[in-house]
Amino acid sequence: MKILTILKQVPDAESRVRVQHGSLDLTGATYVLDGMDEYGVEAALRVRESGVDAEIVAVGYGPAATDQAVRTALAMGADRAVLLEGDAFHDPLTVALALADVVREEAADLVFVGGKQADWDSAALGPALAEALGWAHVDWTTAFDLDGDAFEAVHDVDDGSETLRGRLPVVVTTQQGLNEPRYPTLPNIMKARRKTLDTRAADVGQDRMVVTGHAGTERERRRVMLDGDARSAAGELVRRLRDEAKVLREEGR
Amino acid sequence: MIDFELSPEQRQIRDLAQRFARDEVMPHAAAWDRDATYPADTVAAAADLGLLNVGVPTEHGGLGLAMLDEALVAEELAYACMGFYTILMASDLGVTPVVIKGTSEQQARFLRPLTEGPRLAAFALSEPDNGSDAAALRTRARIEGDEIVLDGSKMWISNGAEAEWVVVFATADPSAGHRGVVAVVVERGTPGLRAQPIHGKLGQRCAPTAELVLDGVRVPRANVLGEVGDGFALAMRTLDRTRIPVAAGSVGVARRALDEAARYAAERQAFGAPINRLQAIQFKLADMAINVETARLATWRAAWLVDQGRPDAAASAIAKCYASDAAFATANEALHVHGGYGYVDEYPVAKLLRDVKLNQIYEGTNEVMRLVIARSLVR
Repeated sequence: MKILTILKQVPDAESRVRVQHGSLDLTGATYVLDGMDEYGVEAALRVRESGVDAEIVAVGYGPAATDQAVRTALAMGADRAVLLEGDAFHDPLTVALALADVVREEAADLVFVGGKQADWDSAALGPALAEALGWAHVDWTTAFDLDGDAFEAVHDVDDGSETLRGRLPVVVTTQQGLNEPRYPTLPNIMKARRKTLDTRAADVGQDRMVVTGHAGTERERRRVMLDGDARSAAGELVRRLRDEAKVLREEGR
Repeated sequence: MIDFELSPEQRQIRDLAQRFARDEVMPHAAAWDRDATYPADTVAAAADLGLLNVGVPTEHGGLGLAMLDEALVAEELAYACMGFYTILMASDLGVTPVVIKGTSEQQARFLRPLTEGPRLAAFALSEPDNGSDAAALRTRARIEGDEIVLDGSKMWISNGAEAEWVVVFATADPSAGHRGVVAVVVERGTPGLRAQPIHGKLGQRCAPTAELVLDGVRVPRANVLGEVGDGFALAMRTLDRTRIPVAAGSVGVARRALDEAARYAAERQAFGAPINRLQAIQFKLADMAINVETARLATWRAAWLVDQGRPDAAASAIAKCYASDAAFATANEALHVHGGYGYVDEYPVAKLLRDVKLNQIYEGTNEVMRLVIARSLVR
């Protein structure tokens, strides 16, 4: 079988970015393989390591520098790579249609896509790709097992998780918790040099959606200082985390 | 003609080393230092990723990493902990003479096992009474038929007790000076070989160091690298190469010191503002940045010469001497920027200074480096 794993390069969350004239200045930012996509590469490798005879093809899209992300996937263990190269920004639906052509051409059975793209924070690419292919789609996936052409997956829903069963082909979008991606080891980095990277100009046609303008939002941190002794300050902190930030819940509530 | 752009693979190698250093080394470095713990698990994890014994050639199961690539790894690992990097570096120091002079039979016998697990090598040149005057070594090698018998002791041997085997330099003929030196591979567990761990080090405390006592150690002649008499030149050729990772490690320490100083100077308030608003501090930071950048340039150039097949003793010595002096100065200034906090172990800068002192001493003191450099100038 053939597994495709879709990759995007995004600014490293730890790199320094400046806001200039209301827009982001990314010069000097370092780029990395999107963490959500990394879960997808790892998931594909684990499917193969579970004993499935599979070829894994990493498919990147974006500017030429995306070859870094693609090479990371090759060094992690993907067999070969395709890079749809283009500098322009395209909306997720447009990208999905271009990727669907690659999926059909490769006759893939299983596609992993990052649950979200860290730069635009869009979660649309995976669903749009499944829609374009007419395939089933599992979103926010935290567990995935394959047995023949039957899969079982666990994914997050608002109030917990669901376990799903289905048959290939399927598009699976990833979520934190799916796995712990491996480091590309030094031997695999060296081996990846000899793997094929097929770069082609992204032929996306007309954009389905165009960004016509954007405005930044700046928000000051609240910088709340809690006074008093440790006990009362801790009590107040718990109260605020529970009642205001709503990140804590009392038992039974 | 001049190109400082790293290849995609080099960036990946650096990223891997950086990630490993950040996740697996940095969080533990202070504790390893405090307790002088040998971090066996982390060495094993480094081996799993291919970061150990990177100089083993591909035909013997290794990666045969280029020197510039090794320098990238060195800088990142030393950024997290110079002592940890010394464990890996000292193993490659043991590997190097076997790579340079070993027959393919010797390389297969000694190098391949190092690629199959977290296994270390070591290099034994210094003696209790003999450091910089390396040719005056006193460990004796007697040839008895098909065997070599070794007697004497070797000092300051990194990985001496942990190594699978150690390249021992000994003299077969003390009257012949450096022309009497022989290099012999001695495997761990050979009767008569004893490793006495050395305690109480100022820095690099997680890197194990031992004295090796050789008492009638018998090894087959097949373990001799090259011929009897080749040993000294082999030791020097080895060090010409391995001083580059020392230089690269020094760059890593200097970069860490700069980062720590810059961070602290942004947080620490004095006279109503962060101290990084003070020109006295800004100049210190600028000098540290000058040190980091120039030390890296000297290191990369020496590494590039090796990768071009033109290893250059003077270039390596310049890199090692300059980078370790620059790193010591940078760590010293970083400590000073921290004031009293720099003098206690709550902040990592004191460790940087203690660790990097050794870089000015091992693999040839910086005085010996200056002799090597001068030798290329004075005819």
